[in-house]
Amino acid sequence: MRSLLPKDSALPTEAGLLRYDQRLMRIPHSATFRYGIAVLFVGAALGLSLVIRAALPDGFLIFFLSAVMLTGWFGRTGAGLFAVILSMLIVDYYFIPPYRAFVVELDELPYFLSFLFSAVVTSWLGSARRSAEEKQTAHLDELFEQTPEAIMLVDLRDRVLRVNKEFTHIFGYTLEEMSKRRSTELIVPAQFRAEAASARERLANGQNLNVETVRARKDGSPVIVSEVAFPVVANGKVIAYYVIFRDITETKRAQEELQKAQSELAHLSRITTMGELAASIAHEINQPIGAIVTNGNAAVRWLAQQPPQLEEAGEALECIVRDANRAADVIGRIRSLLKKNPTPMVHLDINEIIREVLLLTAYETNRRHITVTAELANQLPAVLGDRVQLQQVILNLTMNSLDAMSTITKQDRHLRISSSQLSDRIMVVVDDSGLGLDPQYSSSMFDAFFTTKDDGIGMGLTISRSIIEAHGGRLWAEQGSRKGASLRFTLPIASVAE
Amino acid sequence: MKASENCVFVVEDDPSMRNALKNLLRSVGLEAQLFASAQEFLDADRPDLPSCLILDVRLPGLSGLDLQRELSAANIHIPIIFITAHGDIPMSVRAMKAGAVEFLTKPFRDQDLLDAIHQSLVQDRVRLQKQGEVRELQKRFDSLTSRERELLPLVVSGRSNKEIAAEIGTSEITVKVHRGHLMRKMQASSFADLLRMASDLKIPYTKV
Repeated sequence: MRSLLPKDSALPTEAGLLRYDQRLMRIPHSATFRYGIAVLFVGAALGLSLVIRAALPDGFLIFFLSAVMLTGWFGRTGAGLFAVILSMLIVDYYFIPPYRAFVVELDELPYFLSFLFSAVVTSWLGSARRSAEEKQTAHLDELFEQTPEAIMLVDLRDRVLRVNKEFTHIFGYTLEEMSKRRSTELIVPAQFRAEAASARERLANGQNLNVETVRARKDGSPVIVSEVAFPVVANGKVIAYYVIFRDITETKRAQEELQKAQSELAHLSRITTMGELAASIAHEINQPIGAIVTNGNAAVRWLAQQPPQLEEAGEALECIVRDANRAADVIGRIRSLLKKNPTPMVHLDINEIIREVLLLTAYETNRRHITVTAELANQLPAVLGDRVQLQQVILNLTMNSLDAMSTITKQDRHLRISSSQLSDRIMVVVDDSGLGLDPQYSSSMFDAFFTTKDDGIGMGLTISRSIIEAHGGRLWAEQGSRKGASLRFTLPIASVAE
Repeated sequence: MKASENCVFVVEDDPSMRNALKNLLRSVGLEAQLFASAQEFLDADRPDLPSCLILDVRLPGLSGLDLQRELSAANIHIPIIFITAHGDIPMSVRAMKAGAVEFLTKPFRDQDLLDAIHQSLVQDRVRLQKQGEVRELQKRFDSLTSRERELLPLVVSGRSNKEIAAEIGTSEITVKVHRGHLMRKMQASSFADLLRMASDLKIPYTKV
């Protein structure tokens, strides 16, 4: 007979009992066990009946019926009937006159038969109850096993009591492997241990848990999971908890791909717009400049002839003047074109814009291992401006900061964006922990086409500054308080700007 | 280089650039013919002189690169110098691969343009000369009788009169006579001369 009690039964944990319960339910008992139990219970009933016989002559009925019922429950139908037969013989022998003989007197027969009938019914009740319970458990077991999410039952000492098929499928561990060690040691990667410990504490306090986190498979590869955990409570005490995992690695990856594609698209469309604008301006300006240079060369050649052809040279020079004016006109046209579309100024919450930008750059900051801190002042007054333009400015400053930190070690990459009110202005500060401003470039960093990046076009800060100035504010750069650069701008608050 | 001996075409939609090019070319004694679009150029009569084409890439209607393709398709081999206000590398690679002489970005150095023009004109003069020679040869070839034309590939393949006679089914004497006429009509001073002419006329050899 297998030991029913867990080895560490000395520890009076309720989880231990739970495990006992489960083993009892699940182990298919051997015939020896089932019939042995019949002998055991019936024997006990006999002993007890004999003891109280003097005081309560009919007391044996209760004990034997109990023994039959228990046997029916523990040993099922066969053992139950065996217990009935055993009880019948013993009762006849000891308690039905004539005593100590397997004979029944005729006038005792109804009494004996009623006992027999009760015993059969009781045994049937016991075994029927058992099989109903088993059926129910089987349903639950089936549900547990077939659920398409990984389920793990863990006691308060972090010992795994049960896992289902999907668990083994996702993590690669069987129940046997899991039950040998603490669950955290096996499936929680080192950097998530602290988090897992605090989660267990909360579960022990009866709280539920719903997180997205990273766990490790048997082969060590990470798996991103959505983890739902809830405590199992018995008699008002938490005795264990269930943890349900859903593998969301693929979903997550798809999400990230999507986000990445979106941010790339946004970046690309900005670059393309800039590129197209630059190309068309270049074309418009290069035409007259090309003509000026060519006419200039022609003039030089006319003058170099012997004798100098003054009239021809003069004509060429006239052309130069005309083309130079034309180039100036092109520039004037571009300027007035930009002025012609006044942007709609609306009341804006600068914090909201900052949050949007942080959301937009979340993928990049994650990818580059940058810690982001946002210190946004509460209840800032609104500013008057164009949402898209201000978003572009903050996005541009943020992307610059991210780029500035590409050369330093991952642990030291911090981006800090803050907003605050300075009397009638709002100030936004974007700090990075990069190498800081190079004094060599500090005067030219706001110039058009000035860039220190390989793939930069040198328009970001120029455009940002003109946007902020068009909003009545100021944009400048400072050396950060500790290290890195600090890009700052102010905007007048709406009531002042109006 | 004298203006009357050459012809420089300019296809440029920007009037001041067009005019500036004309000024520059005049200052070095070249007369330019100006066109505002590719179509105008295609419609114009082009004198049979060594010429070159200064071609803007971005043009209304047919672009410069389109015109280059059209000309090439029409078997017009005029050397092309591209000029552009905003050129990129793929564009220039395309143009050069299609046989352009030069690809200049405005504003360009005048000497670069003039060098390219000079090179183009020299190249075109050689081409025209060759073309004229071939045309003359063709005229001589056209004056041959059908028998003589039949003989030519056999002669330049290096066969003896005897072999030729056997091949075309006549006597060796007749072949000799035909051969004499052939040399005279083609104005070939030697067998080597005749060989060169046959090669210019792209007359195939027949293998022995």
